[in-house]
Amino acid sequence: MATGSSQIEDFGQVSRTVGTIFRYLILAATLFGIVVLAALLVYVANDALQPATADPGWYLTFFLTLVAPTALVGWAVHRRGPAAFTFGSFLVGLLVVSLMFSGGVGLLVVDVVPPLVGFSFAIAIAVPTAISVFLTRYSHRIGFTSRLSATAFVFYLSLFGLPGPIGSPIGVPQVVPSLARAIQSIPVIPVDWMMVGTVLGGIGGAVVGSYVAGVRDARTGLVAGGLAFAATLVSAVVGPFVGLNPVPSTVLTAVTVLPTATYAWRGAFTEERRPAGLGFAAVVVGGALVGAAATSTLGFAGPQSWVDWQFLTSAHSGSAENAGLYPAIGGSILLMATVAALSFPIGVGAAVYLEEYAPDNRLTRFVDVNISNLAGVPSVVYGLLGLGVFVTYLGQAAGTVIVGGATLALLILPIVIISSREAIRSVPSNMRQASYGMGATRWQTVKNVILPEAFPGILTGTILALGRAIGETAPLIMIAAPNVVFSLPTALESKVSAMPLQVYAWSSLFASEDFYTKAVPAGVVVLLAVLLAMNSIAIVLRNRFERTG
Amino acid sequence: MSQQNTDEQTTSEQDAGDGGSPDPTDDEMLIQTDVSESVDETSGTRRRETVVRAEHVDVWYDDNQALSDITMEIPEQSVTAMVGPSGCGKSTFLRCINRMNDLIDSARVEGDLYLRGKNVYDDDVDPVALRRRVGMVFQKPNPFPKSIYDNVTYGLEIQDKGGDYDEIVERSLKRAALWDEVNDQLDESGLELSGGQQQRLCIARAIAPDPEVLLMDEPASALDPVATSQIEDLIEELARDYTVVIVTHNMQQAARISDQTAVFLTGGELVEFDDTQKIFENPESQRVEDYITGKFG
Amino acid sequence: MSTDELEADLTRQTENSPRELLTRTFFFLCAGLSIVTTISIVVLLVTEAAKFFTITAPLMGVTGPTASIVDFLTGTTWQINSQEFGVLALVTSTLMITIGSAVIAIPLGVATAIYLSEYASTQARSVLKPALEILAGVPTVVYGFFALIYITPALGTVIPQIGTFNMLSASIVVGIMIIPMVASISEDAMSAVPDELRQAGYGMGATKFDVATGVVVPASLSGIFSSFILALSRAIGETMAVTIAAGSRAQFLNPLNPASYLEGALPMTAAMVQLLTGDITGGGLAYRSLFAIGLVLFVITLVMNIISDFVAQRYREEY
Repeated sequence: MATGSSQIEDFGQVSRTVGTIFRYLILAATLFGIVVLAALLVYVANDALQPATADPGWYLTFFLTLVAPTALVGWAVHRRGPAAFTFGSFLVGLLVVSLMFSGGVGLLVVDVVPPLVGFSFAIAIAVPTAISVFLTRYSHRIGFTSRLSATAFVFYLSLFGLPGPIGSPIGVPQVVPSLARAIQSIPVIPVDWMMVGTVLGGIGGAVVGSYVAGVRDARTGLVAGGLAFAATLVSAVVGPFVGLNPVPSTVLTAVTVLPTATYAWRGAFTEERRPAGLGFAAVVVGGALVGAAATSTLGFAGPQSWVDWQFLTSAHSGSAENAGLYPAIGGSILLMATVAALSFPIGVGAAVYLEEYAPDNRLTRFVDVNISNLAGVPSVVYGLLGLGVFVTYLGQAAGTVIVGGATLALLILPIVIISSREAIRSVPSNMRQASYGMGATRWQTVKNVILPEAFPGILTGTILALGRAIGETAPLIMIAAPNVVFSLPTALESKVSAMPLQVYAWSSLFASEDFYTKAVPAGVVVLLAVLLAMNSIAIVLRNRFERTG
Repeated sequence: MSQQNTDEQTTSEQDAGDGGSPDPTDDEMLIQTDVSESVDETSGTRRRETVVRAEHVDVWYDDNQALSDITMEIPEQSVTAMVGPSGCGKSTFLRCINRMNDLIDSARVEGDLYLRGKNVYDDDVDPVALRRRVGMVFQKPNPFPKSIYDNVTYGLEIQDKGGDYDEIVERSLKRAALWDEVNDQLDESGLELSGGQQQRLCIARAIAPDPEVLLMDEPASALDPVATSQIEDLIEELARDYTVVIVTHNMQQAARISDQTAVFLTGGELVEFDDTQKIFENPESQRVEDYITGKFG
Repeated sequence: MSTDELEADLTRQTENSPRELLTRTFFFLCAGLSIVTTISIVVLLVTEAAKFFTITAPLMGVTGPTASIVDFLTGTTWQINSQEFGVLALVTSTLMITIGSAVIAIPLGVATAIYLSEYASTQARSVLKPALEILAGVPTVVYGFFALIYITPALGTVIPQIGTFNMLSASIVVGIMIIPMVASISEDAMSAVPDELRQAGYGMGATKFDVATGVVVPASLSGIFSSFILALSRAIGETMAVTIAAGSRAQFLNPLNPASYLEGALPMTAAMVQLLTGDITGGGLAYRSLFAIGLVLFVITLVMNIISDFVAQRYREEY
């Protein structure tokens, strides 16, 4: 109780007005870009989807069947357990994304790769793969060199036959046909859906089987894989009864139903036990289906959206109403497959070299600086590189899938390398120590410890980089990809268009009010939807990776 | 140069049993077999062959000397403890034995270090091959994010060794005193075990390929007391078959489990190396006495 | 085990086994590809551009029409049909885009960085950062379309004399596009400011505003500066948005006169696209001019990247 004469009665107030104004100003600045973009997206979605053209009854029906139940059940499930709600939302998301994927796969299966060719190559790859896996089992008895040569030989024999492309330039006739060729020349060929179903079901069954085996045990995995394979084949028989052709229904089963069902099984019935989430997902999907059935029976018209089946499945046309994106979608898919096939192994390889092998010397530092500078080179210059090197000097035809894919792969390579390096660097160093301490060589450490640990991160980075590549237009223009393509590319040497290129062509070469308000917004919405799907996969992967890592 | 080094280190029978081995008859049998091989007829004392011999080893990290002029001999089938304050270079010396220092760009090793008479710093020695004969257990348990089974077989896989993996896994886990706790969950991830179990898994992993020497870098420092005592018991068991070299900052631990103790002091010098009993009861150097009685360090 | 056996075992040289050599070589080649790419870009641009200029064309063994390097670098008219290749008309247009987008992106980006680094809660950050990433993730062709179809008409209601193709809306979308780049690099620099500095500020009785503007921003200035350069180099290389929104008629405008932003012009990147999509009536010369512009563009962006690297390195050394 000191009662000195100098006792402080009040500390006073330091004015915070300026600080408060500043705070709200910078918050506004932060939101500015986001709000502008959101507004633009609303505009473009409005132009493309034409929501105002729908019957009010259509909205009312969907509100009653979809929105209201989703909100109610979602709220209830979320209150009982946020984890179950998240699981349910992911399940719906997976369903939507995998539906988009099955559209892409269906496009490839129906219009790009003839079933017999796909089937024969799938077998021709599966057989030597099985042999090499078998050889690896006995790795301690067979030396590496002989194993490698044996594997290389069976792959060569299976894909090219003897003497194959090595012998043909010097005029040696084909003695042994390749396995792929042999299958293609079988006089009695199975029906299309059988071949497609076998390939897709085989892949789907293998994936589902190994996933389930990881969650439970090997026996359950085997059963699940077998079931998945059978389900794919059965769906082809059942499909026609619900109005689907056999081939699309196998695609739908393998690409959409199998992953969704497996994820649903895992979330609802294994150790995580969140059946409430399953219920939520069922309400959403069921609501959408009931809504669709109800509107069609009640005769309520939906919006006159420009993004419709016709737009997605037809080629360019002189009139905006009839113009479609189909060849461009197919082109983008093939380009992305090429880009992924080229940039993933090379980018990861470079990252592994720089993180695990490279000595700390000038050359390494130079490569380091060089890569970060390459990431800053404008995409149009990469286009020039593609034009100059692949087309002019290497004599490839301009505007083909392989040239476009290689150019885009070079463009995103620095991004893939940088993100893969980050993923590799985040592998804890005590894992490396443990492996080296056991007497593992560098490659053994990389193969057994580093790549498996870094894989989710590498995959995330690669998907994000592919997202960048799929939106790139300038390099494709530079390599003289045609603005208008009427059919899907069917080979690596086919001319290719792509979604952003088609959008550019419509908005510049076919500039007219009609295209501006119909085809272009529709194209933009499809392109953004694909990007959104890719990025959401990457973000889900990244979150999962960060939680465990 | 590569001639087998005869042993100067003698250890009495009491010393071997001093660590508090739970089963004396076993111990005697072990000594019996040893005796048959290496008893010096004239003196009657048991001799142990030197496994690791360091001669004038210096280590630099860039320009900082981490170890200076280390000369010592580590006998087989015993526990040799390295003690000293932090930064004294005891871990650095441990990492010299299996050349883990090679992985650090700035590290430079001079002098000679022999494993059974072969200088491991000869130009023609492959550090990878060396590490396959010298197992290592680290301070922090570091099992791979693989199943328990795959963790134990890792060394066999990378060496392309054949054999009955199931049997080796069982034997290694039993030796690491972990089998009873995990035999029904071999397919589960090694990361799901407790800290002490993880460290015993790391020990099982290290001994599965049957190395000559087992290096342990403060293997119990990240563990709770119960797990620590389990690991200590285990180390004494392991010393029957392996040459164990352990780094510890814990004096009592060194006194409890080791047969020989090397005391490193600041500046990376080896001040004294002798039987553990001698070091703790009657050290030659005043500095060592000061250190172990807690006057500094 | 005998000494000989031991020696044989220890000297196996696993690093030189075929498996190790093969994998090591593969990884090395992958990393080497980046150098091959850079060399290819430089060699290609230099040799093709050399064929374009009168001085160097004979060295490359090119006969036929060429252009004077002086006219190229100092000319202000870009007219392919009349064989006039004055790159300044393109460079000033690019400069306009750069200035215009800088006016938008620099203040907004820095403000965003300050907000994210100093004010935002963890939860707000976890929402805002991905949202900002979307700004950079939208394809540039989409931005170009937005500028042409939505932004220009919207601006037209305020400024009636604005052209259908104009630099203003192109600058706006490029500016929005590069905000995340300024923001994320600046934020990294601000987060790298040690907390002790902030504590020192608060200990002196400074408010949050004082600390943010008086301590954190000055301390991270070089990082912020490096983010400007990197983002502007991105704006210079930006292609599709300006191609669609800025028009196709090359003209020499004064970048410092605000009125010139209402007109359309032809930045370097747009000129390159135009050369390939339009009829190249200039024949071989127009084709080669493509590489001459490409070389100018490459050199400008490379220099900016190197400066930004240099500046960024300096700030990393400060702590």
